[in-house]
Amino acid sequence: MLSLAKEEDQYFVPNPIKQMEIRISNLSKDFSLEGKKFRALDQVDLTIPANQIFTILGPSGCGKTTLLRCIVGLETPDSGEIAIGEEIVFSKEKSIFIPPEKRGLGMVFQTYAIWPHMNVFENVAYPLQARREPKEKIKRKVAEVLQLVQLAGFENRPATKLSGGQQQRVALARALVAEPKVILFDEPLSNLDAKLREETRKELRRFLTRLKITAVYVTHDQAEALSLSDTIAVMNNGRIVEIGTPRDIYFHSEHKFVADFIGRANILEGQVRAIENNYLITDTSLGPIVCQKKREIEIGKKVYICIRPEFIKIIKTDQKKGPNIFLGKIESLVFSGDLCEGEVGIGQISLNFQVEPTSPLQEGEEIFLQFPPDHCQILLH
Amino acid sequence: MRRHAPALTPTLIAIVSFLTVCPISMLFLGSFTEGWEALGNFTLQKYIKTYSDPAFAAIIKNTTIFTIGSALLATALALLLAYLNTRTNIPFKSLFGILSIVPMMIPHILFAASWALLLNPSNGLINIFLKQFLGFAEAPLNIYTLEGMILVEALLDLPIAYLVISPAMSAFDVSLEESSRVCGASSLRTTLKVTLPVLRPAILAAITLVAVRSLASFAVPSVLGMPGRIYVMATHIYRLIATGFSPDYGMAAAVGMSVLAISITLIFVYRSLTAEGEKYVTISSRGYRPTVIDLKKAKYPLFIFVSLIACLLIVLPVVVLFYTSLVPYSMVPSAKALAAMNLKHWQAVIKDPISMLSLKNSIFLGILGASLGIILSVFVAYVIVKVRTTASGLLEAFSFLSFSFPGIVVGIGFMLFFVRTPLYATIWALLIGYIATYLPYGIRPISSAFIQIHSHLEESSRVCGGSSFYTMRRIIIPLLTPGIVSGWILMATMFVRELSLSVVLSRPGTEVLAVQILRFAEDGLWGKLAALGIIMIFVSTVLVISASLIEGRIKKVK
Repeated sequence: MLSLAKEEDQYFVPNPIKQMEIRISNLSKDFSLEGKKFRALDQVDLTIPANQIFTILGPSGCGKTTLLRCIVGLETPDSGEIAIGEEIVFSKEKSIFIPPEKRGLGMVFQTYAIWPHMNVFENVAYPLQARREPKEKIKRKVAEVLQLVQLAGFENRPATKLSGGQQQRVALARALVAEPKVILFDEPLSNLDAKLREETRKELRRFLTRLKITAVYVTHDQAEALSLSDTIAVMNNGRIVEIGTPRDIYFHSEHKFVADFIGRANILEGQVRAIENNYLITDTSLGPIVCQKKREIEIGKKVYICIRPEFIKIIKTDQKKGPNIFLGKIESLVFSGDLCEGEVGIGQISLNFQVEPTSPLQEGEEIFLQFPPDHCQILLH
Repeated sequence: MRRHAPALTPTLIAIVSFLTVCPISMLFLGSFTEGWEALGNFTLQKYIKTYSDPAFAAIIKNTTIFTIGSALLATALALLLAYLNTRTNIPFKSLFGILSIVPMMIPHILFAASWALLLNPSNGLINIFLKQFLGFAEAPLNIYTLEGMILVEALLDLPIAYLVISPAMSAFDVSLEESSRVCGASSLRTTLKVTLPVLRPAILAAITLVAVRSLASFAVPSVLGMPGRIYVMATHIYRLIATGFSPDYGMAAAVGMSVLAISITLIFVYRSLTAEGEKYVTISSRGYRPTVIDLKKAKYPLFIFVSLIACLLIVLPVVVLFYTSLVPYSMVPSAKALAAMNLKHWQAVIKDPISMLSLKNSIFLGILGASLGIILSVFVAYVIVKVRTTASGLLEAFSFLSFSFPGIVVGIGFMLFFVRTPLYATIWALLIGYIATYLPYGIRPISSAFIQIHSHLEESSRVCGGSSFYTMRRIIIPLLTPGIVSGWILMATMFVRELSLSVVLSRPGTEVLAVQILRFAEDGLWGKLAALGIIMIFVSTVLVISASLIEGRIKKVK
């Protein structure tokens, strides 16, 4: 379990001399797999702000790990430029390629990549030894960082005798020991079981925020991304689709892909009929739906409407006033502990909805539903 | 490392394809030409002569019976042992692990010779014993028969069959059997209808692999077959080049081509069988343990049976050799024999210049050959596992192909090549031949070590600030060391005892231990044979121990 010490800040705080922003422009990379060429990165432009937890989120195969590996120098892009802070580490045009060992970064791999022939001390000391630091300094710094990840006293433990959570902390200590400018994480929690993963996620957030370090975090787990990040970049098919804070991405996403990928979503097709005050009126197969208006949009445009299950309200017959009220029939209802999830049929269309676990509703019952207009998002194709 | 990989792959392909393609193409050319000087004059004469020889039919028949017989016997024994080990509560299971590494310890020629010492019709120890104490008029047992050859070859190949069958047996999903029993089938019916069919790919793979080995086997047919004039393909080739007044390399090549064709076919059958077997294994659930069958009363009788096989394999050959090296002539162990014991044979061997030369040559070939072979193996394994391009696939195919090459056949091919170079009759000819033939044995342990080194281990070292050289020194080499050491041990012990290639390539001045032992066997000098044989076992053991010690030092230094 990653339960990080809270009081040791004064012993070990990497000193960010400069604001280590990462600027990526026009980055492309092709791979050929079994004779077929495919584009892992497609003209990616991205600025990762300093001292933030920045998450790259996307389904497997979207290019997120390739992007991370390009930043760290384990892959060579086909075109574009990467700058870390003031330094250009890769540029096709200027023929610059700084090898990974000269980039001064820290990285936690998905497999942790703990060297099995070394003990904990040797694993953590490695980055300092590679830099030929004096022995005394190495000893002191390793002790400090092990204290920080609560592995003090584990110095002589062989790497093969560590649990998954301990390996993860050794990997973190190793990534931090040389005080890197930026630390990168490649799905570091995917090898832990569900409960440990949730706890570790919280600890990691607290820890990284306190260190004031630029952290780039790659994951396919949307819950992990939402709870951990300051900023999320959603990727698909080698492109960055959308960038924003977790709340922006969740409540105000612009793209169908993003709304669908993050959380649970009911997505309907529609067409803009009218604009009234700050709301749009759209025609859908359910009938007219009033939606939030986030940006200028012309009448007649085809759009998607996203309604998240947790915002679908069930109302009593006598409260039936306001927009977006529909009569539906409960098709299924499943009790899953902290809530009841079900499907409700309105005409030919089924929507996911949820109610509190103590709800007396039954399958087959007819209910009135309301979609609050502020939670009906308009998405682009 | 990625930078020099493009140059590395073609270089390696050039070296490995020279080592594998060269002897085979020379063999091919040689089989169509008249004599080894006149390469180029095409003739079918050698094939016609080979196949029109009326004695050749008997050779084919012997080879078939010997190969299939030993394959079936070895597999049946392996099946029994694997079943007892993985599925029953038989005591002292560690014994089975020992059984599987025995062929590394005892050279085949010595094993065959020790059986000749025990069961030859004129003065085999067991035969003398039976005649003296049980009143048999004639020797009741004769090892110089096809049955005797099959028995000894099967015992030698048993560990190989065991190594193929045992993993399949441990991965076997017992619920398949249980559901058959629930459906109302009897225990026997379940075994016949469920257990054996599910294990079929592994069983067939074991049979095929043992068949490849016994087809290539030279030690057993030469020591046990030739005295009784029972010839198989391998000894027929040997007869064509090593006995008589004019060695006929063309005809030997023609026979060799036939053996090679069968061998390559078998190895492809083996490969497709194991590919199928892996499919079965991956289906089985993880973390599952087979239920153990209580043997009850049969527990100890079965254990005694297994111990008996272990005794036959390990203890008996060494004991018989040691005993024979000390007594002046064949006699049953007795007070008289004990009194007559002396070191005459040992002194004779140590004073024999050819024996000492062969010892020197074998040690030289073992140490230098294994070291060069392992360096080549490291690069080849690296390209096969880590580079993974179409070209590296070609490299894998080449090194895999040579796995099927029978030593004596490759020897003929190399001989036809070396006779045109200054390397002929030098120790370097043997060195090159050894490395070519045994390269897969070096590649295998190293490539499995490479597979275990996940690319993240390398990459994280780079990110941590280690240059590619630093990464090589601190991460790759230390993680590779166990694979390198076990590959080196395997190669070195095989080189020290190498026989089937050496009988062709070894010339006056380049004698090696196994060939010298074969000469002693042919001349019936069993005492000298035994003394030199024990020296050979000793040399192998010293190499194994010192390599392990060096490995320990490397681990400590790091």
